[in-house]
Amino acid sequence: MLEIKQLEFAYAAEAASTMQFNLGVAAGEILSLIGPSGSGKSTLLNLIAGFLEPSAGQILLDGIAIETSSIASRPVSIVFQQHNLFPHLDLYTNVALGVDPSLRLSREQADAVATALDQLGLSDLQRRKPGELSGGQRQRVALARVLVRKRRILLLDEAFAALGPALRAELIEVVKKLVHDNNMAALLVSHQPRDALLASARTAFICAGKIVALEQTADLLDKSQLPQVRDYLGSV
Amino acid sequence: MVRLNSRAVAAGLVLALLALIVLAPIAGLLNLSGIPGYEPGDLRFWQSAYIRRVLFFSLWQALLSMLCSVLPAILVARAFALQGDFPLRGLLLRLFALPLVVPAVVAVMGVVSVYGSGGWISLGRSLYGINGILLAHVFFNLPLAVRLLLPQWQTIPPHHWQLGEQLSMNAWQRWRFLEWPALREALPGVMLLVFMLCLTSFAVVLTLGGGPKSTTLEVAIYQSLRFDFDPAQAVVLALLQLSICTLVAIVTLRLQRLPEVEIALDSVSTPIAVPQKRLNTLLILATGIFVGMPLLSMLIDALGGPLWQVIGTPRLWRSLVTTLFIGLFAALFSVGAGWLLLQYSASLSLAGKTSKAHLVDLAGSIVYVVPPLVIGSGLFVLLSPHVDVFTWVYPIVIAINAVMGLPFVIRSLGPALRQNHARYHYLCQSLALRGWNRFRYLEWPLLRRPLGLALALVAALAMGDLGVIALFGTPHSATLPLLIYQQLGAYMIPHATVTALLLLVLSLTVFWGLERVIGGKTGA
Repeated sequence: MLEIKQLEFAYAAEAASTMQFNLGVAAGEILSLIGPSGSGKSTLLNLIAGFLEPSAGQILLDGIAIETSSIASRPVSIVFQQHNLFPHLDLYTNVALGVDPSLRLSREQADAVATALDQLGLSDLQRRKPGELSGGQRQRVALARVLVRKRRILLLDEAFAALGPALRAELIEVVKKLVHDNNMAALLVSHQPRDALLASARTAFICAGKIVALEQTADLLDKSQLPQVRDYLGSV
Repeated sequence: MVRLNSRAVAAGLVLALLALIVLAPIAGLLNLSGIPGYEPGDLRFWQSAYIRRVLFFSLWQALLSMLCSVLPAILVARAFALQGDFPLRGLLLRLFALPLVVPAVVAVMGVVSVYGSGGWISLGRSLYGINGILLAHVFFNLPLAVRLLLPQWQTIPPHHWQLGEQLSMNAWQRWRFLEWPALREALPGVMLLVFMLCLTSFAVVLTLGGGPKSTTLEVAIYQSLRFDFDPAQAVVLALLQLSICTLVAIVTLRLQRLPEVEIALDSVSTPIAVPQKRLNTLLILATGIFVGMPLLSMLIDALGGPLWQVIGTPRLWRSLVTTLFIGLFAALFSVGAGWLLLQYSASLSLAGKTSKAHLVDLAGSIVYVVPPLVIGSGLFVLLSPHVDVFTWVYPIVIAINAVMGLPFVIRSLGPALRQNHARYHYLCQSLALRGWNRFRYLEWPLLRRPLGLALALVAALAMGDLGVIALFGTPHSATLPLLIYQQLGAYMIPHATVTALLLLVLSLTVFWGLERVIGGKTGA
C-alpha cells in the first residue's frame, strides 16, 4: 500500500550525508522505526507528511505518487509527542478541526466527531480543555482526530514517549485497532524497543539516514547480529 | 517543505517600506551635507564652538542621567527582590511601570509641579537646565531600570541562597558571591539602554533645558530646522547624533543582553536581618514617593486649575482627536508591519535558517538606533523643496511613529509568535488550517495578549511623541503634547497642567483599553 522508493534528502548544513530510504508498509500494518537519535527516523516521517521536500525518489500510495502533493492534500495524519492539541480549544473543537478547519460541520460530520470521541472513551470530557487532561487522554484526543480525518497513512512521531509503560501499552492497543479497522498504513517512531514489540510484526532499524535492517520485530530485537543494532539496543 | 514565499514577499515589502522611511531621510541628509558652502568633510561645523558644546552637553547629561538612574536602581531592585513580603510591593511595581506609558511632556509637567516655583520642593529657576533634565530623566529611567534589573535576582538558583546560609555568608558576602555575578550580566545592557534613552530624549530637554546652555543634539536639530532655518547645520547635528547612537547600539548588541518587555518580578526567599529590612523599606518608600509625587502633584494642580476653561476650548478637543488618530493608526501600522516581519522570521527559524531570521528581526529593530528627530529632519530636508511638509503632517507623523514602535512590537510579540509557530505550524499545515481560519482559531486566541500589549505600547508612545510633531506640526494640526508645549511657551502653566492631566488620562485609557479589549482579561 505505502511504498517509499529511493527517497533521498539532505539537510542544507549536512549536504554531504544524503539520507536514503526504501520500504513498504501494507494496509493494516504498523511498521516500527527504531534507531539512534539523529539517525533520520523523524526526517522520514516529515518527508512523508510533506514538511520536508525530498531531493529524489517517490512516495507511493496504492501506486500513486504523493510526494509532490501539498501537505494538506496528502492522505496523511500525524501525531507528535506533544503540542498535538490547541490548548485554548476544547476537545470537541480540537477534533472537529480535523474534519473542517472552518468548523462549519454538517450533521454527519458532527456525529462523526462525537462517535470518534466516544470510541476513544472521551465523550464525557469533550468540553474540557487539553490542560485539564492527563498526557494519555491528550494523545487519545489526537487519535480521535486521526479517526475523523479518515486518511490512509498514519505517522506516529514518538507519540507515546512521554507516557509511562502501562499507558503506552494501552494506547498502542488503541492504535492497532484503529489501524486495523480503518485499513491504514502506519509508521511508528519510538525510542523504546518494547513499543515496537507490542505494536509491530515488522520493524526497521535506521542508522545514519539509511534503513540498515527490516525484519520481524522479535528477530531484530533478539537475534540481530548487526553491530549498530546491538550497540543501540545496549544503550537503551 | 516550509513554504516561505507569501511570507517572504510580505516581509520584503515591509522591509522595503522601512528602508524608504529610515534610509531615504539619512541618504537625504548625507546628500545635503554636500550642498554649496558645506562641502562633505568640511570641518567648519566640527570646529564650531556651538556644536562642540551641544555634543558635550548631550553626552554629559546622558551620562549623568544614566548614573543617577541606574545606580540607585540597583539598590531599589535589590530591596524589592529581597523584600517579598513588603505590603505595597505589587502596587509600587505597577506604579513603576507607569513611566513607560506616561508621555514625556506629562512627566515634565509633574516635575515642574513639584520642583518648579510654588511647588512642594521648589528649586525655583534653577529647575530649568541640568537639574530639571536630570530629575525628569531619573523619574523615567529609575523605575525602568528597577524593573529590568529585578529579574536578575530570579536567576540566582535557590540552592545558592541555601548554600550561602549554610556557609554563614553575611550580607556583603552574599552580594559579592551571589548577587553581583547575576547582576553584572544585565547591568551593561541596562546602562546603555538608559544612556541611549537619555541621549535621544527630546521633550524633556526642550521644555526643561532652559536655553542654549542646556541644549542636546536632538533639540539643536529641531531648533536648526524650525527656528534658525539652517538645514545644513541640522544635517551635521543629525549625522552626529546618528553616529553616536549607532556606536552605542553596536556595543549594546555585542553585549547580547537586551531586556525583555514582559518580565518576571517575583521575589527571592532568603532571610534578611532587621536593619537591612528597614533600609529596604526606606529605599522602596523613598523611590515610590519620588515616582508618585510628580503625578500626584500634577493631578492636584490640574484639579485646582482652570479645568473647565481648558475643557471648554475647541482647540483642546481638536488636539485630543488628532492625538488619538495618530496614536491608533501608528499602532495599527506598526503592529501590522511587525506581524508580517515576525511571521517570516518565525518561518525562517523553523526552516533552520536562524541567522536569516535573526537578521529580519534585527532589520525591524534597527530603527532603534535612528532617533525620530533624525528621520524627521531627513524627511524635512528631503521633502520640503518639493511639497509643503506641513500639509503632510499626519502621514509623516504616523509613519515615523509606526516605524519607531516596531522594535517594541518585535520584542513584545516576537517570543510568543515564534513559540506558537514552532509548536503548531506543522500541525496547522497537516490540518490545512491557514489564512483566516488559522488566525481565528490559533493565532488570535494564543497571541491576543502580546498583540494587545504591542498595540497599547505603540499607541501610548505615539500619542506622547513631541519630537516629530514639533517638527511638522502647525497650530491647526497640534497634538496634545504639542499643545502643552505651546501653552508652556506662552507661560500658561496652569493650562498646560490641565492639558497634561487630560493627556495622561487619555494615554492611560487607551493603553488600558487596548490591552484589555485586544488582550482579553487573562489572555490564553
